[in-house]
Amino acid sequence: MLNFNTPIIDTKEYSEIKISKAEPILKINLRGKNRDFITKIGKELSIITPVDPNTSSSNEKLNLLWLSPDEWLLYSNDIVDLKDANFLEDKLFNEISKVKLGSVTNVSDHWIMINLKGAKIFELLSAGCPFNFNNFKNSKGAVTQTLLNHIDVIIHNKNINDLNLFVRRSFSAHLWSWMNDSAKFI
Amino acid sequence: MFLINCPYCGERDQSEFTAGGEAHIVRPKQPTELSDDQWAEFLFMRKNIKGVQFERWNHAHGCRKWFNIVRDTSNDKIHAIYKMGDKPPIK
Repeated sequence: MLNFNTPIIDTKEYSEIKISKAEPILKINLRGKNRDFITKIGKELSIITPVDPNTSSSNEKLNLLWLSPDEWLLYSNDIVDLKDANFLEDKLFNEISKVKLGSVTNVSDHWIMINLKGAKIFELLSAGCPFNFNNFKNSKGAVTQTLLNHIDVIIHNKNINDLNLFVRRSFSAHLWSWMNDSAKFI
Repeated sequence: MFLINCPYCGERDQSEFTAGGEAHIVRPKQPTELSDDQWAEFLFMRKNIKGVQFERWNHAHGCRKWFNIVRDTSNDKIHAIYKMGDKPPIK
């Protein structure tokens, strides 16, 4: 039985930093290599599949993040009832997995999405991250996978000073605590 | 610490990567015909030279792709980076 409950139930505000949980949202991992797979995703989701490294594409309901040359993460913009959101997974499964174009995996319970807003969010991230955010913070839609306080994270720069951070469920409570502690000193 | 230019993601800190040892070790076509010593030679024995070495690296905390690096182990200077399956750009 999937556990859609997140250990984080809070929203915290500090000086020019707001940290909040954005759950539950639908997250689907897509893997495939050939051109037909990329075309099929675009057609089924009405979204252009990002093939350039560290980029993403969005429509009004969904975001598609480039993770590697053969891997993408799809997530919903809005909070959804995951029990009723299987239709998209089923649709992609029938069109992609069943015809062996690639793989479709529902990772909604695997990742926790945390939203960070404010002028100082990159100062917070830089406190525990080896990634250089100089260009990233001005690139709307940029994506990176890196380490934050030694924890694997996916960061999606949704807007200027507004980003979504994905962390594995088992690390989320610890990262949440670390971000809140660090934000107090920024 | 040094920077590695991942052929898929771009320049990243070394802490995002894991080293995978010596590159271009060819698996024997008929392992069953090898002696124990020859098999052990393939399986375990690696060069550990001071100087330019061909290595495999994995962007473990990024795109999780493997690639090759030509690195000087004495000063961590990277001479070339190329994808798996590509021929080394330098000899």
